[in-house]
Amino acid sequence: MADWEEVKRLAADFQKVQLSSTTQRLSERNCIEIVTWLLERKMIDLIFTSDGKEYLTPSQLVNEIRGELYDNGGRVNLVELAKLIGVDLAHINTHVHEVIKGHKDIQLILGQLIDSSYIVRIAGEINEKLSQQGQINVSDLTLQYDLPADFLQQQVLEKNLGKLIFGKQDQNDPRIFFTESFIARSKAKIRGALAGLTRPTPVTTILSHIDMSEKLFFSLFEHTGNYGSLTSKMVGAQYIPNVYARSQNEWVNNFYKQNGYLEFDALMRLGIYDYKSYIKKQLANEDILLLNSCVISKSILERVEADIEECISSKSYVDLQSNLPSVFNEKDIQSILISVLTGQKQLQTIVVGSYIISKSFIEKLSKDCDDLVKGNAKSTVESGKYQQYQIDLHASHTKSSKLDEAEEKIDKREERRKKAAGGKSGGGTQGRETKTKSTKKPSRGGNKSFDIDDTEVPERKAVLDIVTADDIRNIIQNTLEEEGLDDLVEPLTDYLLPKLNEQGMEIAANIYATTVADRTANRRQTHNELQNKLNALIGDVRLFEKGIKLLPSELQLLLVKYLLKTLCTDILTEILNYVAAEQNSNVVTDSFNNDQRIKFINDLPPEFKTPLLPLAKCLTGQSIDDFMTAVEEGLSACSMIIKKIDKKKDRTIILNHKHQLLEQLNKCEDLALVLHLATLIIFTTATQCMLHASGRHVSALLSFLKQYLTEEQYAELTSYHDFVTLMLSAGSEAESAKEKLKEKMPTIKSIANDFKKPGAEKS
Amino acid sequence: MVDDSTRKTLSNIPLLKTKAGPRDKELWVERLKEEYQSLIKYVQNNKDADNDWFRLESNKEGTRWFGKCWFIHDLLKYEFDVEFDIPVTYPTTAPEIALPELDGKTAKMYRGGKICLSDHFKPLWARNVPKFGIGHAMALGLGPWLAVEIPDLIAKGVISYKEKTG
Repeated sequence: MADWEEVKRLAADFQKVQLSSTTQRLSERNCIEIVTWLLERKMIDLIFTSDGKEYLTPSQLVNEIRGELYDNGGRVNLVELAKLIGVDLAHINTHVHEVIKGHKDIQLILGQLIDSSYIVRIAGEINEKLSQQGQINVSDLTLQYDLPADFLQQQVLEKNLGKLIFGKQDQNDPRIFFTESFIARSKAKIRGALAGLTRPTPVTTILSHIDMSEKLFFSLFEHTGNYGSLTSKMVGAQYIPNVYARSQNEWVNNFYKQNGYLEFDALMRLGIYDYKSYIKKQLANEDILLLNSCVISKSILERVEADIEECISSKSYVDLQSNLPSVFNEKDIQSILISVLTGQKQLQTIVVGSYIISKSFIEKLSKDCDDLVKGNAKSTVESGKYQQYQIDLHASHTKSSKLDEAEEKIDKREERRKKAAGGKSGGGTQGRETKTKSTKKPSRGGNKSFDIDDTEVPERKAVLDIVTADDIRNIIQNTLEEEGLDDLVEPLTDYLLPKLNEQGMEIAANIYATTVADRTANRRQTHNELQNKLNALIGDVRLFEKGIKLLPSELQLLLVKYLLKTLCTDILTEILNYVAAEQNSNVVTDSFNNDQRIKFINDLPPEFKTPLLPLAKCLTGQSIDDFMTAVEEGLSACSMIIKKIDKKKDRTIILNHKHQLLEQLNKCEDLALVLHLATLIIFTTATQCMLHASGRHVSALLSFLKQYLTEEQYAELTSYHDFVTLMLSAGSEAESAKEKLKEKMPTIKSIANDFKKPGAEKS
Repeated sequence: MVDDSTRKTLSNIPLLKTKAGPRDKELWVERLKEEYQSLIKYVQNNKDADNDWFRLESNKEGTRWFGKCWFIHDLLKYEFDVEFDIPVTYPTTAPEIALPELDGKTAKMYRGGKICLSDHFKPLWARNVPKFGIGHAMALGLGPWLAVEIPDLIAKGVISYKEKTG
């Protein structure tokens, strides 16, 4: 039951609680309603907080703003203020004016409230900074404090200058403040830096060294300007220290006084870029000559002049390069020479590079070459080069486009080349033969090379060097080397070469004129001699032919052939030699074979070619008569006459021939030749006719001669002949045969000597 | 779900421990004691928050409860009788609170003036057996119902303000 009691009691408690008065509290809703109502009635003026849950009276807001300003150390942003107080920014903005109104020490700047305590504080800070740095720029401060420059300038700096900020305002730039000590320090720095300059220095370099702003430097520079250490300010903000300018001038003056010249390069190195005007200014009262790379004083010119005079009078040379300061370049020397070498001197000297050489010195050199020139001129004429040159010169004037003539020219050129290769005497037959082949083939073979040759020909003809540069060089080199003028060898050679060549040409022309005169005389004589010689030879041939006709016909054929091959060929060779000489070609046809002869004849001009070609051909024929008729024609082409046959003379000729043979026989020691000669003598004596035969025909001749000989004579001769054949066969018995032949030789000789014409003997 | 203020109110009502119905003799007494203590606390809370909105009393056994409840709208206080029985299956079954005055005046009501509770009420109650008691039923059931229905009924003109004893 106790439980129920308790329940009852609780029920009573419950009633009691329910009946107890409710705490009379305005609910939030009611409050809002009441406030809205009051606001509607304009009975109160309230400001809602931004969350809408609080109200503020305007005076409270003003108070709070002031409080926040104080809290934030005298400077607060309105936006921040709105956030801190929790009121809409608009309210702050409307009420900020009230805040400022009553208080002059509070200012609104850029949406920030700032009071005087803050200004005092930053003024203190700025002062501290100023004393540390010595210099303060308002623009730097604006960055640091995030305040407008004008404000800082007017409200903070200028107001507190002298009170809180101890410094000076820059007169040129009111935005800059500095302390006295800083100015003094900077001035000292500038002064030090400028005093330390030894050469022109750009301001930037100075600034970077002393770590100073350009503005400050320039504003202070004017103060330091009267320190007198600087002379001038150049373009590009270069400062030239006094010392430098002075030493520069000194150096220039000294150098000029000592050396008499002044190099532009040196001036450039010193930093004088406008050297021309500088020199004009610096050396105003000096007598100077402006050159390409330097100026020189009159004294140097005088010296050079004196040198040249001396050179002329001493007949030697002057090397200006070594006589003048080494800095002078070629152009300088050239211009010095122009000013020094005047009229008379110019005539007496030659300028080669930097050398001045007196004419007499050169003459001395060229005299050394005289011998060579003369020698060369002579040899040139003798070797026919000069004539060739004349012809070429002529030919090049009347250059014909015909192929024939061009070919001829080429041949001539080839001949010239041959000669050059073979030497002037024309010796070395074998060498020449090979040369002929090797030179002729390519030019004949390819037309391409021919074309090129054709164009080259006139050019080559135009010049004939009597002396070559090498020759001159060799001669003058010795003299010049002794003098130490190695460098001059080339230019002097070049200088001398044309002169000497001209000289040589003159000499050659003289020599040629004399030789031509000689030659015309000679030629007439040789023409006659040749005519006689040929007549004699032709006579011989005729007589030999007569002898041959005595012999049996088969032997005749062989002997005719032999005769054509030997004597007749000689005749043709003589004729060809003559023709070659006439043609001014020095070909010697002595050892030509048949083909070469025909070729040579083919190359001859037509007036020689037509008569000589059959002559050459009949050499290979078998008829002496043909040859004789051909020879007649050939000789008439060479303007020679064959003399009429004089029978009276034949006898004497035969006798002479016999005597010659006997003489040969008696002198002869050759075993085989003895028999040959003996046979010929016996034939001549027996038949009164001459015979031209070779050793090969000896046996046949012996058998022919048998009728004229006694038995024993014939036996001796045949046995001797047998031994000769045995010896020549070079068998095992050759030696013994030789012995036998030696024994028998006198017998054979006596048989030949004693042989008389049988008819005569009989009678 | 119930709104935040309701939830807050709810959390301030002390929870019950004894699971017992009116037929459980001894235990019911125990339960009844807890109910009272809970109600006392709830009323106390309401009064402190100036949010007193009902008067309740019960019969001797605590099986039947009756009293008044009111709602203030447009600064006018509308007062209604409230009554309900503790069902035999209490606390598993929630009490059916009735406002007999309003019977037939609104659709959100069963016959006899029993209010239609929100969908959330029943599961919430079921989950909190036996912790919820009469106080919870009032706060969770009747309170929200009044807040929703009364302004509606006033607007419809179904109920009108009667000058009553304040």
